[in-house]
Amino acid sequence: MTKIGLEIHCQLTNLQSKLFCSCKANYREFSPNANICPICVGLPGSLPMLNQKAVEKATMISMALNCKIPEKIAFFRKNYFYPDLPKNFQITQFDAYGPTSIGHDGKITIEGKEIRIRRIQIEEDPGRLIYEGMSEKTQITLVDYNRAGTPLVEIVTEPDFDNPKQVRVFLNILVDLLENLGVSDPTLEGALRADGNVSVEGGNKIEIKNVTSFHDLEKAIHFEITRQQSLVERNIPIISETRQWDDRRKITVSARKKEEEQDYRYFLEGDIPWVKLNSDHFKKLKEKMPESIASKRERYVEKYGITTQVADVLSSDKYYADLFEQSHDEKNAKEIANIITTDLMGFVDTREKRETSKLTHQHLTELANSIMDNKITRNSAKTALQEMVSTGKSLIEIISELDLDNVSNESTISSIIDEVLNEEANAVQEVKEKPETVNFFVGKVMKKSKGKADPSMTLNILKKKLGIT
Amino acid sequence: MVSKEEIEHVAKLMRIEIDDHVVHIDRIQKMIAYFDILDKANVESEELIVREQTIDALREDKYIPYDGKLIENLKNYKGSYIRAPKLI
Amino acid sequence: MSLGISALKYIEEIKNGNLTAEEFISKTIERIQKVDTKLHAYLSINEQAVEQARSIDKKIKAMENVGACMGMPISIKDNICVKGTKTTCASKMLEDFISPYDATAVLKLKAEDTIIIGKTNLDEFAMGFTTEFSAYGPSKNPWNTEYVPGGSSGGSAAAVSALECIASLGSDTGGSVRNPASFCSAVGLKPTYGLISRYGLISYSNSIEQIGPITRTVEDTAFLLNIIAGIDPHDNTTINNQNENYLNDIDSGVEGKKIGIIKEMTHEGVDKQVSAATNKAISNFEGLGATFEEISLDMVEYSVAAYYTITATEAGSNLARYDNLRYGYDFDSEGYEFNSYLSKARKNFGPEVTRRMILGGFVASAGHAGKYFLKAMKVKSKLTAQVNEALKKVDMLISPTVPILPFRFGEKIDDPVALFLVDINTVTANLTEKPAISIPFEISGGLPIGIQLLGKSMQDKMLLQAAYALQNTVKLPEVPI
Repeated sequence: MTKIGLEIHCQLTNLQSKLFCSCKANYREFSPNANICPICVGLPGSLPMLNQKAVEKATMISMALNCKIPEKIAFFRKNYFYPDLPKNFQITQFDAYGPTSIGHDGKITIEGKEIRIRRIQIEEDPGRLIYEGMSEKTQITLVDYNRAGTPLVEIVTEPDFDNPKQVRVFLNILVDLLENLGVSDPTLEGALRADGNVSVEGGNKIEIKNVTSFHDLEKAIHFEITRQQSLVERNIPIISETRQWDDRRKITVSARKKEEEQDYRYFLEGDIPWVKLNSDHFKKLKEKMPESIASKRERYVEKYGITTQVADVLSSDKYYADLFEQSHDEKNAKEIANIITTDLMGFVDTREKRETSKLTHQHLTELANSIMDNKITRNSAKTALQEMVSTGKSLIEIISELDLDNVSNESTISSIIDEVLNEEANAVQEVKEKPETVNFFVGKVMKKSKGKADPSMTLNILKKKLGIT
Repeated sequence: MVSKEEIEHVAKLMRIEIDDHVVHIDRIQKMIAYFDILDKANVESEELIVREQTIDALREDKYIPYDGKLIENLKNYKGSYIRAPKLI
Repeated sequence: MSLGISALKYIEEIKNGNLTAEEFISKTIERIQKVDTKLHAYLSINEQAVEQARSIDKKIKAMENVGACMGMPISIKDNICVKGTKTTCASKMLEDFISPYDATAVLKLKAEDTIIIGKTNLDEFAMGFTTEFSAYGPSKNPWNTEYVPGGSSGGSAAAVSALECIASLGSDTGGSVRNPASFCSAVGLKPTYGLISRYGLISYSNSIEQIGPITRTVEDTAFLLNIIAGIDPHDNTTINNQNENYLNDIDSGVEGKKIGIIKEMTHEGVDKQVSAATNKAISNFEGLGATFEEISLDMVEYSVAAYYTITATEAGSNLARYDNLRYGYDFDSEGYEFNSYLSKARKNFGPEVTRRMILGGFVASAGHAGKYFLKAMKVKSKLTAQVNEALKKVDMLISPTVPILPFRFGEKIDDPVALFLVDINTVTANLTEKPAISIPFEISGGLPIGIQLLGKSMQDKMLLQAAYALQNTVKLPEVPI
């Protein structure tokens, strides 16, 4: 039986500062080594100062993944030498004296399948390595410590996945969950990384590292399963090892063997006293915790009668959910939900578009109410929406500027209909035999009126004129 | 008695080269042999006493830019990087 | 005007106008120039000291606010960061390291207008008890320059005792402040763990070490503690001492105090002169109203092994950052491969540090951690429990600081285990996180003997009061150099 497990690293990008110092948590805007201090660069005599919010956010993640959380947590040193590690040890969590990491034995169900979470731990990110020069001879490793000390939460699952597709579904759900909790922005480059481990029937566990995207992870796992299965068929033993994903060739390759096995000599980090998490703390966090995606979805469906498909989209995307929460009331909830999930989506589907969008929740409220009051047709509403996103102007301004008023003047519509019926005399005959084709005329009227004609009024008048019901 | 090979293995792990094997290894073996006294201490069932703090005592999550250009005080390469030898 | 005045006396004289900071600093510099070629207490001197003294004098004359230290010269052990100065830890690995920041304790002293007169010598990375392991040569004992000054804060103790400064800040991991204080006839305090911020103290064994003042009088130690003690957000292991004033009521005496004599530190292996001195100290205390009983701490037997196991493990990790890539000394990495460069660069560590790091790698390694490191941690816990029990029965514990008299250079350096055991009386306070102080008590055959008191956690004040009482029962000769 194929078994797949995951190790996900999530940067807590929504924090203001790093895990152990007050340098900025989001390092991406800085020029090299401009976001460093004695602590994150590990200068002699420096000491770590643990970030309170980081512990809170990590606790929330553990709670959201239904993990057991110990009464006190400890930090450990993982000792090894690497150019991106300024102290040549990483401060992380480890379970040497019983469970001391922030979360254990959790679970999450995806599409009916239960995935167990083995462990969640808080740790610091190392710096970044850049290789200068292409030829082997001139290769210099340049180190940028801007990222060193960025807060990470590592989530380790049990090998409960049966196939790569489940992995993808899980990761999508996890990304939404983390974004919903407000702990991380998954659109930031490098904010979420995942490694996997794979074993097939009759073989040992293989770790896959160096996968840069979730998309590639799925591919890498697929490749590994195939590779391992073919080895098993040929009776070649699969030895436990670490393999790297080669992005260019789209295969996994054996990571170069180290001379000796890594011995990390884990021991307690003496500079960070164990942190006591009391029940008061949990109570406060539970109150602070944002509503879960599942809970939102349920509420949308039950309270507002929104369809499950629409509720799914709305609840799982924090940007949409937030807009919805702020703009709706009992009456226009369904309308707003529809506007967001049908029309708005096309205008704000990327991070950049969302950042530059000038749409506010008031815009949505106005728009929805106007549609429901028949002041503007759905068609025009779509145009208005686009205008709101790009200019932020109010609905009234837009309606007047773009002449989007709902045409609900009977005589105006009547004259437009007469024009259309004249032009499409052939179709008139057809409709008398096939009344359902009346929509053809509605469409023509809408076109002539630039979408402003009130559709239901148009239909009524048309039917009267055509003598159909 | 801890073997010479084991000590050399650890030295490698710690990224330390020892030239004067005779002097070093002999002394290290003596030091480790002395630690065997710990076996007589009869502390198997002892609970570890640990230092604690409350979550309220932790640092507030605030961005405070470092005053000054620290990279200029370090061995920098082209003014902005730290240069490391390549890793094989 | 004697350079041997205490800090408190110095302040009095400055306030009375009998002395200026510039005078005192200039005289101190002269003294250093005269004796330090022999003593080698200092690794570097502050070239701006006289200038800084002048500005303080100006402030005093203009009746402006001046800090409590009023320009007194204090030296700092060279493993404590002073901004803009070389901070070498007496190692070739940090030959060129100039600290870009001040340790918290240093900042606090500077804020009170202290003049940091220089950085003092130590055993490399604070590992040792004689300064013989300094990469820049040992310091000498001012009482007899053929003898070791103790260590690792040997330079600090020598400087204070030889009147080359008013006081010094050292660091104490296993006795490194108390041991040299005892050998040089000075006062040396290792405070309760967490009382003084370690931010800026270059870590050797971070879970048990502390910065500690070395002074000529107990009151001076209390005075300095008032300035440098207290919670520091930069060091998560510091404890709130509620702004305790250590100098107030320092003369309240020991009437009614119960003191325990540590059996394991006062019987076997103690030089007879040291034993006699200890007994005298006990009877002096009795004369002041204290009562004594014998206390047994059988875990003391394992304390040295536990100490070395724990400190070696932490040292192995704390010193891993010295790969010479970001700071260190001049050695170009061009043409090298990463791991081989590291191994070559780290050859600049001295032999003792090298051995301790290998030891540390060994006792914490996957196959051996359970046998050594974990056991050592359990010994630490059990010893702590025993001392806590004892301190329920008595107010403090007494022993000689070092069981033997100061010894000559080269005498102990070749036998690692013998060297370990010099520490047997002092490591208990570090392992149990309790405050302990060494009080200069006697000069025997020209060699100083110190008496140690060990107190309850956060009761450093009570310890100082007892130390003050003992100090006033003796009158010691002046340093011969």
